[in-house]
Amino acid sequence: MTSIDTAAPVSPVGQPRDRVDGRAKVMGRATYAADAPVRNAVHAVIVQSTISRGRIESMDASAVEKSPGVIAVLTPNNMPKLEKASPDAQAETRTPLSDLEVLYAGQHIAVVVADTLEHAQHAATFLKVDYAAKPPVLDLNDPAAKIERPAKDPLGQKLQLEKGDVAAALAGAGVIVVKETYSTPVETHNPMEMSATVAYWEGKKLTVWDATQAVVSRRKSLASLFGLKPEDVRVLCPFVGGAFGCKGDQWPHTVLAAAAAQVVGRPVKLMLTRPEMFTSCGHRPVTEQTLTLGATKDGRLVAIKHETKIEDSDVGKHIEPCGVGSSAVMYATPNLALTHQLSRVNIASTTFMRAPGENPGTFALESAMDELAIALKIDPVQLRLVNYTDKAPHNDLPFSTSNVKECYRLGAEKFGWHLRNPEPRSMTGPRGERVGWGMATATYPGHRFPNQARIRVFVDRDGGLSAIGASATQDLGTGAYTVCTQMTAMLVGLPFERVKFELGDTNLPPGGVSGGSATTAGVGQALSEAAGKLREAALEIAQGKIDSPLAGLKPTEVVLRDAHLASIENPAQAVALTELMTVGEKYLEGMNEANPASADNFPAKRKAHTFQSFGAHFVEVYVDPDLPIVRVNRVVSVMDVGRVVNPKTAGSQVQGGVIMGIGQALFEETHYDRNTGRVVNDNLADYVVCVNPDVHSIETHFVGEPDLLFNAIGCRGVGEIGITGINAAIANAVHHATGVRVRDLPITAAKLLRQV
Amino acid sequence: MVNVTLNINGTEHTLAIEPRVTLLDALREYLGLSGTKKGCDHGQCGACTVLVNGQRINSCLALAVMHVGDQITTIEGLAEGDKLHPVQAAFIKHDGFQCGYCTPGQICSAVGMLNEGHAKTDDEIREQMAGNICRCGAYQNIVAAVREAMARTT
Repeated sequence: MTSIDTAAPVSPVGQPRDRVDGRAKVMGRATYAADAPVRNAVHAVIVQSTISRGRIESMDASAVEKSPGVIAVLTPNNMPKLEKASPDAQAETRTPLSDLEVLYAGQHIAVVVADTLEHAQHAATFLKVDYAAKPPVLDLNDPAAKIERPAKDPLGQKLQLEKGDVAAALAGAGVIVVKETYSTPVETHNPMEMSATVAYWEGKKLTVWDATQAVVSRRKSLASLFGLKPEDVRVLCPFVGGAFGCKGDQWPHTVLAAAAAQVVGRPVKLMLTRPEMFTSCGHRPVTEQTLTLGATKDGRLVAIKHETKIEDSDVGKHIEPCGVGSSAVMYATPNLALTHQLSRVNIASTTFMRAPGENPGTFALESAMDELAIALKIDPVQLRLVNYTDKAPHNDLPFSTSNVKECYRLGAEKFGWHLRNPEPRSMTGPRGERVGWGMATATYPGHRFPNQARIRVFVDRDGGLSAIGASATQDLGTGAYTVCTQMTAMLVGLPFERVKFELGDTNLPPGGVSGGSATTAGVGQALSEAAGKLREAALEIAQGKIDSPLAGLKPTEVVLRDAHLASIENPAQAVALTELMTVGEKYLEGMNEANPASADNFPAKRKAHTFQSFGAHFVEVYVDPDLPIVRVNRVVSVMDVGRVVNPKTAGSQVQGGVIMGIGQALFEETHYDRNTGRVVNDNLADYVVCVNPDVHSIETHFVGEPDLLFNAIGCRGVGEIGITGINAAIANAVHHATGVRVRDLPITAAKLLRQV
Repeated sequence: MVNVTLNINGTEHTLAIEPRVTLLDALREYLGLSGTKKGCDHGQCGACTVLVNGQRINSCLALAVMHVGDQITTIEGLAEGDKLHPVQAAFIKHDGFQCGYCTPGQICSAVGMLNEGHAKTDDEIREQMAGNICRCGAYQNIVAAVREAMARTT
């Protein structure tokens, strides 16, 4: 793969730029889906099932229809028939309102459309529903649950794997074995923006403003459901109010809004309520993981066995690949076994949530590593150094770059790890708090999805050159607008201030899903190829002129720099770009080809390298000695994510991951009523996430070098790695502070008291 | 239906709405002021925070009819033309947001908090901004932004 152009005097890539969409966001001008400038929209609200398993016997909507302002009521009895959707883009295998079976509480069973939001909300309360209810299956260990053992995850990675002979290794002479079970509860994404859709039809053309991580995928899916050509569907999403995975696949409400708009012949606005967010767009499933580690006395691992139990609804498609995301890649071991077992339950469908697999997987493995370190009386950092690997154990392919040792070194130094007394309950704080220091490794794979992008360079009104990059990708709050602007600026050799980037609209060149921390890598590669096309186009025009200073040069031998196309070898040989834009021709353009062979998103198909980011978290907790409430006082996180395009936004991403990880470790859990299966805490007062006073000092650092084997920019993405390992680092610190090992998240005062 | 006249960002608007319309929905759905966000509709997240006579409130927990005669300031009314309010500028400088959805509420809440004048330390800022959830986790940067704006405005 060719290297990048770093021709601008100070490359815009690597600079800590303020967000280019910052002004819009602080002035209230950023248009999220529900803010779509669509006139005369009517309002749709959803009615959900109150039982979690059974069948709808009858529905009576007459009182709803008579309620003031009501325009239409959609139920399974009158829902327009939809085509079969392209399966890859749908979160659930069943089209919405297509039958009367209830598979979980909070399943959509009707949509009420009215002239105002108040009328729709009020009318929806009048729907009468009779159910024939059955006892639900609510626990993954319920013997009534259907069990599946899927062979592969959606990225083609093996979920059931045995390398070497784990049993024999664990039974070996002198092998110390740690075997424990770790569990994590259902966690719900709860981005601040509730999912919303505004849909309208113009004849056979559908326009949808949708809160989504994937406009192109949404278009494909809606087109197939409504029997339209993809070009007759436009999906817009210039801003997303957070997503974390719950806006990745297409959930039923988007389809229902489009169907309702078709039925009523007017624009329809549908925003899920906060309680509906708990059952309508996925969550991280419960996980139950048993880790068995075998090691020699000096800490060398001889075997890792990682058994995972997860759950999903009957129509869900998600698999939480805990072992794949952790034990498969983290430590050298000659013997490795992974299993994943899925139970079908009557709880709403699950989906990917920030670092699916890696996040719960690292909680289990990194807690077990801490327990092993204690059993062996080895420093936790030292144990990890002893088991360092430069290749992924599951496929033996070398990491493209590998700097985890530097993450440990720098993290330990910044944190002051050498001052740690390894004895639990040995350290106290200024007010008598029990102080605990813990650490854990973070890891997340490099993903990159097929992507197209376009760059246009044009003469601005002031006579200077400007550029616009574009791709139908998404900015979830990650900073994509800003980093894509920086990459475009670098590639065309123009100042950052003279470049814009457009995204979130299917009218732009197709982009991939903004998931898997893949956006910067995918768009960056596409932009790099687009810049190559732009250079080719510019060179062809330049060489068509008499006495061209660039005569005889190949596209790979020229660079865009300071508004010129110049020879790389002899920069004095150059042509001003303005000379290449003849009268009447507005711009020079480059766009990469669809689905370049290099842009594969299937790690299982990679033959030469494993692309994997690593990091290290060091955590200090204070635990109250009387009522053991835990406070995460200090975090130092060091990450190797390849090239960092914008240290400011990347640092914020890692901080955000750490903070969501603090919430996961200490507070977050979706509770279900054991009899009805309904969510008990379906609101932001009872589903507790971190608020401002829960967060103290979080320090982030980046190490490593550009990963040019992975893509032309050299970045591996930074959105998810921060939330891996942090859960275990906190649990390990709590053990160090209190002597109590909590293997079941969240770590509440009640659990600590119970074990004292 | 009732006629309600609201003074928002210095301009009077008369609406014919039902008495049950919340101030938040009046702003968003009837006046097209979509800068104020709905994050829970239950007064639990702070995304809908606006200023009423300089005090911060959750607009989802207020009915529009309750605020006839009040001076309502929303996120759209904080800047003077293109000149950002110091809190707005500090949020950009310190990266006090990611997705930006809680940001109008965070900023209005911070302005209200500075008007209250009780916060002096970082811990007090954290405590007094506790009603505004940021799921992206920009809290540390929000505290830095508020601290800087506090220094500039006092």
